[in-house]
Amino acid sequence: MEVGAQTILNNDIILSFGKLAILIILILYGVFSLLIIRQVDLMGKTLITPISKIIRAIAILHSGVIIGLIILAWGIL
Amino acid sequence: MFPTYVEHPRNVKFEGQDPDEKIILLLRAHPITNLPWIFFVIVLFFTPFFIPSILIMAGLRLSMFPQTFQIIFLIIDYLLILSILYEGFLYWYFNFTLITNKKVIDVDFSNILYKSVELAPLPKIEEADSTTSGIIGSLFNFGDISIQTAGAKVAIEMKDISRSAIVADIILDLAGKPHDHSKEEHI
Repeated sequence: MEVGAQTILNNDIILSFGKLAILIILILYGVFSLLIIRQVDLMGKTLITPISKIIRAIAILHSGVIIGLIILAWGIL
Repeated sequence: MFPTYVEHPRNVKFEGQDPDEKIILLLRAHPITNLPWIFFVIVLFFTPFFIPSILIMAGLRLSMFPQTFQIIFLIIDYLLILSILYEGFLYWYFNFTLITNKKVIDVDFSNILYKSVELAPLPKIEEADSTTSGIIGSLFNFGDISIQTAGAKVAIEMKDISRSAIVADIILDLAGKPHDHSKEEHI
């Protein structure tokens, strides 16, 4: 069974499919992170506290990291 | 650092605040209510450590997968953890109730695309009932509060509020109504 599994995992088509699946997940995750920025913006306007700006900065950083990861995944996979 | 029951909070404002409006109480759900998603984060954090064993049980080995795929999977897992942590904190922090000298405001963000703001002017409040239920609620002293305004409809429902009985009492005091302690429920 191990030899069979090894053969399947060495198959270029399977690996390309895996790469595509990861990229789609990351792109959806990127869209989700952009929605979080919008939501944090709305939340920050609803309740204005000293940490509202920090929370917004984290949301932007989070989105930036994901966009970076999409580019990285595109490059190395 | 992030209290759930704050009297006269400083440096806090809200959307639509009148110039002469002062915040008397800022309330959030008790931190213990965050335990389910924190538990989920802990499980996700340790998941990569168990993946080799799971693969062996399935007749596979980790080395069969390209190293780049392994790295990306690991990064996605920890990003997911980061997201759940961040979202969990956001929904806890921004689901709040404010009691001002004019009204009670309850804000709910139940998901990323939903925002609900419920308002009840203090003079129109007829009743404020508190309910403490369950072992955890009794142990950590938190419960639900329902506020009724003129009319049969429940105007505001607040969930898992710390010191719920005291809060209901404060609301009725501000509304100028006597508090009927027989309406406090302990289930």
